[in-house]
Amino acid sequence: MRIHIIGMGIVTALGSGLRSNRDALLENRSGIRPLTLFPTVSHHPLPVGEINLPGGADNFPRTHRLALLAAEQAMANVKAAPDAVIMGVTTGGLSSTEALLRKQISDPGMYRCHATGSVAEEIARVYDCHGPVLTVSTACSSGAAALKLAQEMLRSGKAQRVLAGGADALCRLTYHGFNALQLIDPDGARPLDADRRGMSVGEGAALLLLAANEPDRALAEILGAGLSCDAYHPAAPHPEGEGARAAMQAALNDAGLTPADIDYINLHGTGTRDNDMAEARALTTLFGNEMPLLSSIKGASGHSLAAAGAIEAVMSAISISEGVIPANTGCRTADPALNLKPILAPVRKPVDVVLSNSFGFGGNNASLILGSPGRRQVRKTKAGTRTLCVMGHACVTGAGRTRATMAAIASGKACAGVLASGEIAARLSPAQVRRLKRFPRLALALAMDAYESAGDGKPPEAVFMGTGWGALSETSDFLERLFETGEQFPSPTDFVGSVHNAAAGQIAMQFKARGANLTMTGGDYSFEQAVAAAELMAGECRDGIVVVGADEHHERLSPLFDGSVARTRACPADGGGALYLDNSERASAPRIQSLFFESCRKDTDVRSVIRSAIDTLPPFEGRYGIILAGLPASCRKKAEHQLQILLEVSGFNGAVVDYRKYTGEFASASAVAVVMAVDLLMKGCIPASFGNGIAEVLGSKGALVVGMGDHMTAIEVMNP
Amino acid sequence: MEKLINELQAKIVDVLNLPDVEPQDIKPEEQLVGGRLGIDSIDVLEMVIMIEKDYGVKIDSRELGVKVFASLKTLAEHIHSNVSGQTN
Repeated sequence: MRIHIIGMGIVTALGSGLRSNRDALLENRSGIRPLTLFPTVSHHPLPVGEINLPGGADNFPRTHRLALLAAEQAMANVKAAPDAVIMGVTTGGLSSTEALLRKQISDPGMYRCHATGSVAEEIARVYDCHGPVLTVSTACSSGAAALKLAQEMLRSGKAQRVLAGGADALCRLTYHGFNALQLIDPDGARPLDADRRGMSVGEGAALLLLAANEPDRALAEILGAGLSCDAYHPAAPHPEGEGARAAMQAALNDAGLTPADIDYINLHGTGTRDNDMAEARALTTLFGNEMPLLSSIKGASGHSLAAAGAIEAVMSAISISEGVIPANTGCRTADPALNLKPILAPVRKPVDVVLSNSFGFGGNNASLILGSPGRRQVRKTKAGTRTLCVMGHACVTGAGRTRATMAAIASGKACAGVLASGEIAARLSPAQVRRLKRFPRLALALAMDAYESAGDGKPPEAVFMGTGWGALSETSDFLERLFETGEQFPSPTDFVGSVHNAAAGQIAMQFKARGANLTMTGGDYSFEQAVAAAELMAGECRDGIVVVGADEHHERLSPLFDGSVARTRACPADGGGALYLDNSERASAPRIQSLFFESCRKDTDVRSVIRSAIDTLPPFEGRYGIILAGLPASCRKKAEHQLQILLEVSGFNGAVVDYRKYTGEFASASAVAVVMAVDLLMKGCIPASFGNGIAEVLGSKGALVVGMGDHMTAIEVMNP
Repeated sequence: MEKLINELQAKIVDVLNLPDVEPQDIKPEEQLVGGRLGIDSIDVLEMVIMIEKDYGVKIDSRELGVKVFASLKTLAEHIHSNVSGQTN
């Protein structure tokens, strides 16, 4: 199968649209200027890649507006709705949230666009996408990672067209956070320069409409992509660039190419001393003396974080279609220690194959390979998808860890609550958790418990994390101290911890898991997204996989961000669940598979959406002994209605458990539900407390975990 | 100087949340970063902010940081010779 790019949109500090960005590249122009977007205490605001964005009447946060602009360009000549939307986003509505928090606005309605996932949701709404809407949040590699998932979704046949990319807007958290890390060059980024002192934070968005086998409309092709994790440090890259090399190698393998096939490398090249050095070492290891032409455009565009990977994918496609190699803007004298020769002025030259790198906090690396349409031999399609077997499982709720939670549920008791932090971290060493607040502690403890419950498995190679809201404590503490100290003394530790993927980075370090490492942030469906991502990436994982869903309750922020928490303030709850998965197909282990992920915006569509979703599936009755249903309090009525129709259409009349009544309201409660399903299957019976008053034997029947509300999802857990 | 060293010991343990470390365990002459105490680059930046906030002394380049954070003693000396009189 060939993955064609049939539409592209781009908004950067260099301009809006393909033409203005191309012109900027040809003119070697920089868009980096002192910040004007928000006032700073300092009289000398730092240089940034800021976009002159006309004020929107729609009140959307800046990230959303940038993404919508890019989407409009990418979809300009397309009428059909995309089958899926996959976005890389890290700041989401934070630029607006910061201003609201500072003014101490306490109306949750004002924060409705805070979620990173709300950017993709809005795009899906505008372009009427009814399929999966996924959000990747792996810091600076998010946009590239989103394109990798899109590529795998097309290859799997689950979609024919996917609208994918990345978006991030400038905000106080990233502006002050990177400065607190001393990673900002006060003179503007000059990647690879001998005197470079850091990056320039930027903003932007790029979206690509990817299609399976549509050569007639193709602007370029995605030939392959690779993910890896350093598993080394929360913020600094592996000094030898080991993870970067692994991601590039994975992308080459995926594309069926060798280093000699690459014409041009679009570097990650942020301009920080360590990043550029690590990337240079990785390149030297991989390419040796046969170094292709290379440059970083971040001295022109700034580093637009989650958008960067997608922006640079579009720039790579421009490079191919226009036959131009962009300059390494800002670099005057290349650092001899890097031993690279960046292109210092734009070069007109045919370009066939481009490698584009994006590396991020948490050691999350992604490399993409783009090619001119139709000119390259494409790799053979991989053999089918893997069966994922649940070798280990664990959860945390207010009742305690796995055993305590399952015992409470089996006896019909609710387990909702907020477990004491000490109990969560009981097995983690004090040195390991000294900088970790509630969310990363939850995530790390869950991953370790799930792995341990597997008994004798190899340590996991890949990590898939789902979280609705991420590191709320770190985010809140960072902003609070930023505001309290007049923007002067924000905490670097909290900044590093605030990124959504910090927890998955900790898990990777714990297990030395150097494979794919993805954090998915899609509100109440985040864990479902993590499972979907794991399925898409499973073919590339040799060893085990951990999939974790977790959320922390934060007294101040949770009720502002999560509508379900706002409605149940009196009973705060948090926790999560984790699975250790393997594809060894060991006879006794339950199998997990996601069946559908649909968007349902109109109540009148429910029946037809459900009917088409379950039409292709085996009959529910006889196959499942129990349905565990997620009915978030924020959209309870709608969700109940959907569930009723699902039961009606499927003809299922077994036990149905409204699991949030047990777990309480938090975004990743579905992770606990999936763990419940696994536990029920392993015990072989449904406790009397679930519905009918008498214990039932499950026999060969499985369990179905469904999510209702803005999306309708289903994951089945079956005995072999 | 000794008062400053004692003050810094307490602040470092507190700010970095060092487990099982008492203030007096941070020896003035001992390697401060990358050694026995488990202090790393993020901790250094956290200390940079603390020192600027509490003593008004900026350490804004890595080259300077390497010298200043060599040990608790070098840190105290740097603060002592750069502090502008008033501290909070």
